[in-house]
Amino acid sequence: MITVTNLVKRYGPNEIIKGISLEVHKGEVHSIIGPSGGGKSTFLRCINGLEPFQAGEVRVGDHVLTPATSPRSDARLLEAVRRQVGFVFQQFNLFPHLTVLENVIEAPRQVLKLKRGEAIQRAETLLARVGLSAKEDAYPRDLSGGQQQRVAIARALVMEPGTILFDEPTSALDPVMAGEILSLMEDLAKDGQTMIVVTHSMGFARNVANQVHVFADGYDVESGPPSKVFGDPQHPTTKSFLSQSAKD
Amino acid sequence: MRQWLCSSLTACILAGLVLPCTASADALADMRKAGRMLWGGDQEGGGPYVFPKENNPRQVTGFEVDFANRIGEYLKVRAEFTQGQWDKMPDMLRTGKIHAIINGYEFTRERAEIMDATIPYYVYALQLMGRKDNPRINSWADLRKGAGAARFKIGILNGSAAETYARKFCGGLCEVVAYEGNTDTMREVETGKLDATIEDTPIASFYAPRFRALRRIEEPVQRGYYVIYVKKGETALLQALNEAIVLMVRNGDLERIYRKYGIWDAQQAELADISEKGRFYGYFKAADAKIERNQMPTEESVKVDTRKRGWQVVKDYSGILVQSAGMTVVLSSLSFPLAILVGLMIAIGRLYGRSWLRLPLTAYVEFLRGTPVMLQLYFIFFFLPEVGVKVPAFWTGVLGLAINYSAYESEIYRAGLQAIPKGQMEAALSLGMSRVLALRRIIVPQAVRIVIPPVVNDFIALFKDTSVCSVVTIVELTKRFSVLSMSTQATVELMGMTAILYLMMSYPMSIIARRIETHLGLEQQA
Repeated sequence: MITVTNLVKRYGPNEIIKGISLEVHKGEVHSIIGPSGGGKSTFLRCINGLEPFQAGEVRVGDHVLTPATSPRSDARLLEAVRRQVGFVFQQFNLFPHLTVLENVIEAPRQVLKLKRGEAIQRAETLLARVGLSAKEDAYPRDLSGGQQQRVAIARALVMEPGTILFDEPTSALDPVMAGEILSLMEDLAKDGQTMIVVTHSMGFARNVANQVHVFADGYDVESGPPSKVFGDPQHPTTKSFLSQSAKD
Repeated sequence: MRQWLCSSLTACILAGLVLPCTASADALADMRKAGRMLWGGDQEGGGPYVFPKENNPRQVTGFEVDFANRIGEYLKVRAEFTQGQWDKMPDMLRTGKIHAIINGYEFTRERAEIMDATIPYYVYALQLMGRKDNPRINSWADLRKGAGAARFKIGILNGSAAETYARKFCGGLCEVVAYEGNTDTMREVETGKLDATIEDTPIASFYAPRFRALRRIEEPVQRGYYVIYVKKGETALLQALNEAIVLMVRNGDLERIYRKYGIWDAQQAELADISEKGRFYGYFKAADAKIERNQMPTEESVKVDTRKRGWQVVKDYSGILVQSAGMTVVLSSLSFPLAILVGLMIAIGRLYGRSWLRLPLTAYVEFLRGTPVMLQLYFIFFFLPEVGVKVPAFWTGVLGLAINYSAYESEIYRAGLQAIPKGQMEAALSLGMSRVLALRRIIVPQAVRIVIPPVVNDFIALFKDTSVCSVVTIVELTKRFSVLSMSTQATVELMGMTAILYLMMSYPMSIIARRIETHLGLEQQA
């Protein structure tokens, strides 16, 4: 579904991503872990075109993003990619001027041009699934962080994307709420939703992901099934990162 | 009246821009075809020139009104008064908004170079006036005695011939204070804040009954001439006007009009001398002018009553003030929505538009913010006609205010748009929205909520800024206040009424804005 080849991302003289390749197939869950500043979030943002990159390519289905892709002249291409790739942010980024229901139906109405009734039907099914049917008419500021993130997930799901990218979805939440979100994501995985998850939750990476990638200093230093990466880490960075995480 | 402010900023800047007018239309033929002569004056100048009628402030009266009407009769056209800012009359003449200036415009060489002047219709001079109970000033010479600590304070009208003369005559020896209103100085002398004032003789004579504590000191000095100015090169019109004036001098029409207003004096004898001997700058002798006995019936003389005060002022003038406030409301409620719309487009263009768009938009904002709105109105009204774009006064006001305020609104919206977290745009794009859609549905609606307080603030400011529209001949609340207070001297009462009207218009705005804020605040993120 998604193939990333030799991706390089620079901010001025700083190379954030120094050539990373990755392949995600339908139904797979990939987890990206690693120390802060390793380029994890930036990598995710390159996949759905929020960040331009300097070398390599990103292939999503039939669509190809390259360093030449321009946010203006290739707007149609980017919109097509984003319709196939959902994104869940660390800070939720709900639309504060819209109610929960309006947040969820906004894109189906405006982008997919669904009829209002149909969009609401889809949205209500998903809000029920994330356990927020009662909050349909609430505004984001009246919700807890965990509730907001669940709305954000429903908002991504309603577009029925092939893949959803999660950018540290639980980092802004307390452990109880984080647990709720992680179990919701686990449910999605069981239903066969393709996902790439940047996370600090080792439990999720170990128990839910099919593939784990350790990013450090702009490289994918070690990747493989969780049993291998967690059970028999090879790279020194992986070893020190995992022992550090175990102490937390 | 005021002298030509040749050095005024506006005049100089625009003089550079203005193309020389090549078309030499025949104004007289034009007037005859339309059946009317548009003559310009400023009611704010007060009596006895052109001023609102005491019993009906919607109409104008004054010796120049009678004079212009009589001229109209001789030229067989209807004389129509056209309100304009006094110092902008030459521009109105140049751009064809009026045919003639009849408003206490003195003959000067400078003016005669840019316009054509008729022979004089009035001979004025400068009258020194002091308080009856102040024996210290009994002659012009006394003004020069007050060197040292006891310098006399002399009030004059800002920019007038009296000011020039006062500064030359006793500049270092007495304190010369400039005032904005014709009769302000007379009141100040009466209350003792000034020791003396120097007024044009018509004003001194006409308003004498209203300032009974004042007396004239010595004979008037510095004779000067009020003339009609027409556009340069309008010889046929000039000739016709000169003939009419000659006739009116000969048959006594002028004397009758001036006596009606109590401003006929010995100096006017010179009018006959000039008209018969034809010794005047630019004079075309009216050789064939027939001497007619005048048919004008003797009219009741117009004299100012004692100053109206208190509730009488409220009763007589609240109607017309409210009517003028209506103009203020219409001007601002038409121009502000335009300003908001244009401002929002500019802000979006600067923040999200293509790079080549940003420089011109920034230039637009900086230029319009950095130049006075008065100048912009002036440009639309007096310059655009030169290149063939004629915008009527009212729409000039609406357009000028809208354009000027669009620059301010765009900066407010820019700040509002920038205050929306980057994550909002990213979230919208990630859902497959285009940038335009994201702006329209997600970013702008949030920015609009943020900027409500400063935008309302600007709307209230615009409300009051509509007063600059008087430079393009629009009479709104502030101009009406000035006009009425100059002719009635009931400044305090009129000021109070005007202030209350402004407050009555702007305060509800604040309340509505607060309601909207509270309402939308519910939807805002904490």
